[in-house]
Amino acid sequence: MKVDIVMPKMGESIYEGTLIKWHKNIGDRVKKDEIIYEISTDKVDTEIPSPEDGVLTEIRVLEQDTVAVGTVVAIIETNGVQVESKSEELKKEVQTAKQVDNEVIEIPMPKMGESVMEGTIIKWHKKVGDKVKQDEIIFEISTDKVDTEVPSPVDGTLEEILFVENDTVAVGVTVAKISTGNISASTQTKPTSIEPAKEKKLDNSIPQTTNNKQLIANNSQLTNKFYSPLVLNIARAEGISIDELELIQGTGIGGRLTKNDLLNYIQKGRSGATTTSNVGIMKTDKVQRVEIMPMDNTRQRIMEHMIKSKDISVHVTAVTEVDVSKIHYFLEKNRDSFSKEGVKLTYLSFIAFTVVKALKEFSLMNASIDGKNILIKKYVNLGIAVAVEPNGLIVPNIKKADEKNVRGLAKSIADIGNRARTKKLVPEDTMDGTFTITNYGVFGSLFGTPIINQPEVGVLGVGAVTKKPVVIESGGLDSIAIKPMMYLSLSHDHRLVDGMLGGKFLNFVKNTLENFDISII
Amino acid sequence: MSKSYDLAILGGGPGGYVAAIRASQLGFNTVLIDKDNLGGVCLNWGCIPTKSLLKNAEIFDLMKNHSADFGISIQGLSFDFSKIIKRSRDISEKITKNVELLIKKNKVTRIRGFGKLSSKNTIDIFDESGKVTDSINAEKIIIATGARPKNFPQIPVDYKKIVTSTEAMNFSTQPRDLIIIGAGAIGIEFAYFYSVLGTKVTIVEMLEQILPVEDKEISETLLKSFKKRGIEIYTSAKVEKAEVKGDEVFVSILNEGKKIELKAEKVLSAIGVMGNVEGFGLEELGIEIEKNHIKVDKQTYQTNVEGIFAIGDVIGPPWLAHVASSEGIHCVETIKGLSLQPIDYDNIPGCTYCIPQVASVGLTEQKALDAGYKLKIGKFPFMASGKAFAVGEREGFVKLIFDAKYGELLGAHIIGPEATELIAELTLAKSMEATYESIVKTIHAHPTLSESIMEAAANAYGESIHI
Repeated sequence: MKVDIVMPKMGESIYEGTLIKWHKNIGDRVKKDEIIYEISTDKVDTEIPSPEDGVLTEIRVLEQDTVAVGTVVAIIETNGVQVESKSEELKKEVQTAKQVDNEVIEIPMPKMGESVMEGTIIKWHKKVGDKVKQDEIIFEISTDKVDTEVPSPVDGTLEEILFVENDTVAVGVTVAKISTGNISASTQTKPTSIEPAKEKKLDNSIPQTTNNKQLIANNSQLTNKFYSPLVLNIARAEGISIDELELIQGTGIGGRLTKNDLLNYIQKGRSGATTTSNVGIMKTDKVQRVEIMPMDNTRQRIMEHMIKSKDISVHVTAVTEVDVSKIHYFLEKNRDSFSKEGVKLTYLSFIAFTVVKALKEFSLMNASIDGKNILIKKYVNLGIAVAVEPNGLIVPNIKKADEKNVRGLAKSIADIGNRARTKKLVPEDTMDGTFTITNYGVFGSLFGTPIINQPEVGVLGVGAVTKKPVVIESGGLDSIAIKPMMYLSLSHDHRLVDGMLGGKFLNFVKNTLENFDISII
Repeated sequence: MSKSYDLAILGGGPGGYVAAIRASQLGFNTVLIDKDNLGGVCLNWGCIPTKSLLKNAEIFDLMKNHSADFGISIQGLSFDFSKIIKRSRDISEKITKNVELLIKKNKVTRIRGFGKLSSKNTIDIFDESGKVTDSINAEKIIIATGARPKNFPQIPVDYKKIVTSTEAMNFSTQPRDLIIIGAGAIGIEFAYFYSVLGTKVTIVEMLEQILPVEDKEISETLLKSFKKRGIEIYTSAKVEKAEVKGDEVFVSILNEGKKIELKAEKVLSAIGVMGNVEGFGLEELGIEIEKNHIKVDKQTYQTNVEGIFAIGDVIGPPWLAHVASSEGIHCVETIKGLSLQPIDYDNIPGCTYCIPQVASVGLTEQKALDAGYKLKIGKFPFMASGKAFAVGEREGFVKLIFDAKYGELLGAHIIGPEATELIAELTLAKSMEATYESIVKTIHAHPTLSESIMEAAANAYGESIHI
């Protein structure tokens, strides 16, 4: 009797598994409960025992292939007759299949930095069957640190997409396969049986491709999925978008999403699917007064970081007012000449330079806390908060800012700003910062109470420069003058930095800016 | 040297023979063992022969009671009871032969004999005299030995005066009067059949309604119809004793605290069935049996003994041929290793072939309420159907029960013309998770009885056109 060995369902929300290793070859005798292969899934890795005594007559899925739950991966003949003689031939066929497989290039989730362990696929630029050129963007990812586009390493055809948009995948996991050969994406071949035939070699190589094809079909034709009227009614009543439905795996005929699948999903707090939707399709509530919009990945990260910082640090904010006349008039005079040199000179360049000086003076501001230790950084990596349209914020830092002069800092500020806005940052840009400046003044705000960028202990907020009447004292006489004034606010972590140090630091910055030595520029 | 098979199936009823054909299609070397003609109770002593009898009754009913409605006058209308019985037996015989051919065509080995498991892989075959004639080996075994009418000590069946359905469809003469104990589908069908032919019929049902599994409203409608025919009906009535005295059977019942004495020429005991679990070597192999039925895992149909499976009536309710067939196919496909959805036991149609016919699928109104649903119920009487009017069958109605929250079709109940055929649409609707809109927006041909389904669905949402 031929018994099909299928990819087992290892848990509620597991719909596929990767075959890691075959413990048996074609023609091998297997005992019931003897391990025949190993799989790896989302949740667990496990060894799969044989359900029967018999002889392994057919292997349909090769090592490292990922197939849907329920896919036949092998066949066992429990009578064990007339099989051994064919085993050699079948072995050869499998080897051939492997060679064909070699033309398929696997595209892994790239490692975007030391501490980046996973990435979220934001967008597929290509679909299955599309031709791709070397260096052509195939998908976009978002990580903890940065968002980036991933180019193809080769010319070929996108054979397979293993994860849908918004799936979060560990670094190194294959997310797509590109065929450099000419295997057509639409090839359909009948699964083979053990009946021998010389021409079978090619045949045998295709079933596993076919299986994979079905997987893609499921992924790439999502919008063509059939939903029963009842499922749609429930989705409507429960406020579940089509996109969200598409993330729930169905257990009905042909993988169809059934009422029970959906009700189970809802019951489990809508967490059963791969991820929650973060596609920008909106849904309105019954009275259409509230628009519900799922958070995108960036927003979620910002949210997490902000909450985390407020949880960790004891924020205290001190404010000072700076007379920036000197810098103001210098900028007025020299902006054009600098811009001819390709340097965009701004207040921020001067502030950055001054802050670096202050950090050198008050090294406890250029530190972080590690348990009960204080880590004082001997270098300054100065973070500059950059707003990214339409709704993002990122803090790349200027490495070794303490080795740069005002011009150098001005160039660096422009550089990281540009790269942040065009998604060209590399993860290193956002790592190992020691202090941050945030310039909300560009949006007109006078002052704010910034939130510390962890694990730093201070952040300086820069307000807008406005002309104000101020009282000046000259030769014992008070008079009123019009001056370009700017508020600086320093949020510091009271765990480490008390009011005295914060005040001294802030005052140092104020005094240095007011009396800026223009000759050094 | 005994022969070896991949799969042996014990019992050739609608569970066993269907499983055998499917197994053969899937490439299993299969043997089917049954001591009798194939088809089991269903084809030999159940579904098919009774449907033949009921057609006779239906025709006679129409001619006798309704010919004038159609402007037809018939003089000297009569029937030959023995020919009615013979027609039923002939049909049964032919249809079982067709099954034998089907088995042959599908290359299933057929062994006629009594099979008994002597180990978990061996079945000994006995002939009628109890002599071992053969022994076969099989890797897997499916037990599909079916069920037989259940006996109760108060009702001592003697197969002559106090009979089961088997004898009741094969009487040599028509009984003058008949007491039917049990108002399930079997009891109700015999009641209709014999009462139309002129037998004085009395029904005794222990529960509070006839067709106890059906929706109360349906049952009440049938009750009225049967009473109009002159059938005497006692519900909530317990049989205390039934005994044969001379030519008559005396039945004492307790009905609403009152003792009532009934007597009739024959008594039909139709109070449920029990699994055929004895004599097949099941006990010896340690196969778990619970309340006269084999216990199985309803995903795989495997018993507690590995490699031995059981399907159909022998594993317990709902004791329906179509369920047995479905379980047989499911079981074989599971053995093959195909990945399957378990059978949805909430979506099994049930039919009773009296006039008016009764058919249903899913929850009754009461069960839906008990399950905590808020309901939208739609009804449409055949009285308002043009087709029913034209064909002169205006009794009954369609009743559809929807969940008010999501619009799910929870239950469908039909009493009236062709109810047993009409139910298929609603079974499909249920399995495809259709909602009321799906039914209403599907164009139903005019004039048909099926329009009544569309109208009933519309009625649940106040959109019915013809009422």
